Amino acid sequence: MKIIIEPPRSDEEDDVIIVRCASPDQRLISMLLAFQNANTELTGYLNDKIVPLNYHDIYYFEANENRVFAYYSSDVYEIKHKLYELEARFVPFDFIRCSKSMIVNMEKIEYLSPLFSGKMEAHLKNGESIVISRQYVHQIKAKLGIGEVE
Amino acid sequence: MLKEFLSSLLHYFVNITTAVLLVTAIYLTISGQQMDSVILWEILLSGFITALPSALLVCLDVKSGRILLLLWLAHFLLIFFLTLWMVDFFGWYKITALSALLTFLGVVFIYLFTCIVHYIVDMKHAALMNQQLKRRYHEK
Repeated sequence: MKIIIEPPRSDEEDDVIIVRCASPDQRLISMLLAFQNANTELTGYLNDKIVPLNYHDIYYFEANENRVFAYYSSDVYEIKHKLYELEARFVPFDFIRCSKSMIVNMEKIEYLSPLFSGKMEAHLKNGESIVISRQYVHQIKAKLGIGEVE
Repeated sequence: MLKEFLSSLLHYFVNITTAVLLVTAIYLTISGQQMDSVILWEILLSGFITALPSALLVCLDVKSGRILLLLWLAHFLLIFFLTLWMVDFFGWYKITALSALLTFLGVVFIYLFTCIVHYIVDMKHAALMNQQLKRRYHEK
């Protein structure tokens, strides 16, 4: 199967997804519907400001002392959601749990490097580094389409 | 969690036993000492006993680097004293200041050997993951 992503035509206001296939695959339809209906709206709180957040710009979510924060390249916004709720909402969008208290946007990972004791360090595009717990390394491998490489 | 622990236990058991066999082979060659075949079972058992705390340690999700360092230090000391106890229990040799020092060096070698093997495997995994990351996100 080929995946082609191209800019919209000049007469198209919204993004358009056209699927050309002999017979529609149920998985594909479910995926497209999930994408269309997904709720990606998030509100962030920074001091007195209330800001609508774009999930594309979020590097990672972190839970700290019963509060959850969304980390942008340099700003940090508080989110009024639980980490598991964010996980359920954003895992289809390349976010993945990397420790008990963190969910990382895989698109923002520059590269990974090993740490001792099976953990990994994710070096993000904004220069920050976060630790990936040993028990979540397997999930990230699976998300990247890598099986066991022992 | 249990799967994680058993997988780590198997890895550490294989790596530690290989390193102990290497140390024993070198020791027996240099000293010219003869040992019974029971030593092989004792090496397997010692590999299992020392792999247990190692597998437990890597399953702990410690965030603080300082606490992790202290845990690794405690782990090293535990392995060293466990080894001394097994030396005495199995009657491999008499514990003197010199033999304790040599045991210490042996444990350091086994420790480094195991850490390096694990690090090399993890590096291989990281390289594969980076390749996939690059393909998926950086070559858009």
